[in-house]
Amino acid sequence: MVTAILFPMREYMETALVALLYLIPLGLITAYFGLGPGITSALATFLTFNYFFIQPYYRLAVHRPADVVILVIFLVVAIVISQLVGRMQAGLAAATAREREATRLYELSTALAGLHDRHTIADILAKQVLEVSHAEAVEIHITGADSFVHRLPPDLKTVRPPEWILPIQVAQGVLGEIQLWRAEPVLTSGEKRLLQTFASQGALALERARLAKAESRARVLEESDRLKSAILSSVSHELRTPLSTIKAAASSLRSNQVSWESAARPELIAAIDDEADHLNMLVGNLLDMSRIESGVLKPKREWNILPEIVGSVLGRMRRMAGERRIEVDVPEGLPLVPVDYVQMEQVFTNLLSNSIKYAPEKSVIRVRAFLEDELVHVIVQNQGPHIPQEHLERIFDKFFRLTDSDRVTGTGLGLSICKGIIEAHGGKLWAENVTDGLAFNFTFPRAWEGMPPPQMPMDTENE
Amino acid sequence: MSNAPHILVIDDELQIQRAIRTILTEKGFNVSVASRGEEGLTLAATNEPDIVILDLGLPDMDGVEVCTRLREWTQCPIIILSVRDSERDKVEALDKGADDYLTKPFGIEELLARVRVALRHSANRQGTQSKIVKAGDITIDLAWHSVKRGEEDIKLTATEYKLLAYLAANHGRVLTHQSILTNVWDPADADHTEYLRVYMRQLRKKLELDPESPQVIITEPGIGYRFIADD
Repeated sequence: MVTAILFPMREYMETALVALLYLIPLGLITAYFGLGPGITSALATFLTFNYFFIQPYYRLAVHRPADVVILVIFLVVAIVISQLVGRMQAGLAAATAREREATRLYELSTALAGLHDRHTIADILAKQVLEVSHAEAVEIHITGADSFVHRLPPDLKTVRPPEWILPIQVAQGVLGEIQLWRAEPVLTSGEKRLLQTFASQGALALERARLAKAESRARVLEESDRLKSAILSSVSHELRTPLSTIKAAASSLRSNQVSWESAARPELIAAIDDEADHLNMLVGNLLDMSRIESGVLKPKREWNILPEIVGSVLGRMRRMAGERRIEVDVPEGLPLVPVDYVQMEQVFTNLLSNSIKYAPEKSVIRVRAFLEDELVHVIVQNQGPHIPQEHLERIFDKFFRLTDSDRVTGTGLGLSICKGIIEAHGGKLWAENVTDGLAFNFTFPRAWEGMPPPQMPMDTENE
Repeated sequence: MSNAPHILVIDDELQIQRAIRTILTEKGFNVSVASRGEEGLTLAATNEPDIVILDLGLPDMDGVEVCTRLREWTQCPIIILSVRDSERDKVEALDKGADDYLTKPFGIEELLARVRVALRHSANRQGTQSKIVKAGDITIDLAWHSVKRGEEDIKLTATEYKLLAYLAANHGRVLTHQSILTNVWDPADADHTEYLRVYMRQLRKKLELDPESPQVIITEPGIGYRFIADD
């Protein structure tokens, strides 16, 4: 093009001026297309210049010695310019690439900072790797106790093996690997370096997550260990009391210290029998408690008749109630309730026996049940002593006793089992002081998701 | 002693074996003991016991499996022993043909009562079964479909009668919710325990003197019901 512009003017211009004008496009070419094209066009320009502008025209020959000097200088200058501009360009490109790398890395490390969930870490890592590597698919394989594979894009199926696999590792070992599928199988050294840095960032994040988890697990273990030893010391005390009675009674019967006719004999035998029952109840309660605490106490929900449950519990407790009167107001008209029969019986048994234990003789214990919007509300109320406000919640704690534990027999677990059962039924249990005593309240939903409402089949008169 | 009823005890706990054997022998029964399921099955085949007392927690095989295999060839009453909190095992064993259950620890009176019921039951199975069942002042005539308190007829609906008749015909035995629902209603209704609850309550109101403390039809919590007939 330069040739075309300058060609008509060649007769009026100095050869040196033409040479200088030729250098302008040369510099631009090098700047835009790099060192290689720059040098090639320097040589091409040299030839064109010689061919069109140096006499004799249209031949690669030189007549005037001055022209030879101009030509040589032109060639040298052209090559030097090309090289300088080219090198500068390359340096700039490298600097930009490095800056981009640094930005990526910064983004990744900020995204990973403070993460403790391995799946989220894998997801972020996969996204970033996919973006920088221009791959078709990325899989992050996390090995270890609960290994998993995170895949991006999630629904793309690749049949061929991955082109690249990078280990994710820390000093202690390999935590997983990054697998890459991409059509361009060669990674530039920059890409390789970046991916490796990503892998090590990912490894650090995963390691951090592992340590955080281990730490919180250690804390939980320590806590539950403390609780367990507290329970254990309580339990051994509770177990030893009936055992002592049994041992004392049995050994005195065996040692002939009690004569066959003695009136103490049937009493000792009764004590053994009663305390064995007590021991059995205690073991049963402990079992229930451990099932509640480990979350395996799942109510077997069926449509039950609340008055029937209450009635059957009362039938068994009348004797224990002694001279305390139990008044029941649980209407027949209540709808069927979605509860576990056995567990609900236990709730009433424990609440009533607690009321009987603490309420004075000849007092009245009231059991009431009614609907309250979508809830069934039950109140078991006695005329026993008030409980200090600050202890109203604590009475549902395991082994919590307001009184000296020797005065009232029990397991110290009854109320916490009730609470566990009611909560497993999606309900609430609480105690409150009322004018003339203490009231246990509990509510639970009258319908349960996934349980179709009860239906009754047709019936006819018996023939 | 050769005419005395023969009881086979299958339980791996030596203390329990000793206690049961001592008391049952004392009461005049012939007692043989096995500690393992296979051994128990062999003894049952050779001795043809009148009653089998079977612990569900055996070291070599599942007690329910022993129950199933016994039922392949014998109708002798099976009383299962189990620890608390294994309602599902109990129900499964009862559905597989066991007649009764006892929860450990149990009083010896309870065991003897179950043995008596079982013996009567096996006598019924061999002879012709009485069509008239009495419980207190209630008389049920299974042939005539009549239920009376003293001389007075008790009016029952068709379903109430079906329910009562099924329980009375199997008096003394524990009937699981599922077996009652299957037999009185339909196998498709086996999960509708609410039918059972509602009809049982209606039935008890007509039958029991105090429906809150039933004496004729006893609730076995989490398992089923049992009809208590006079001896």
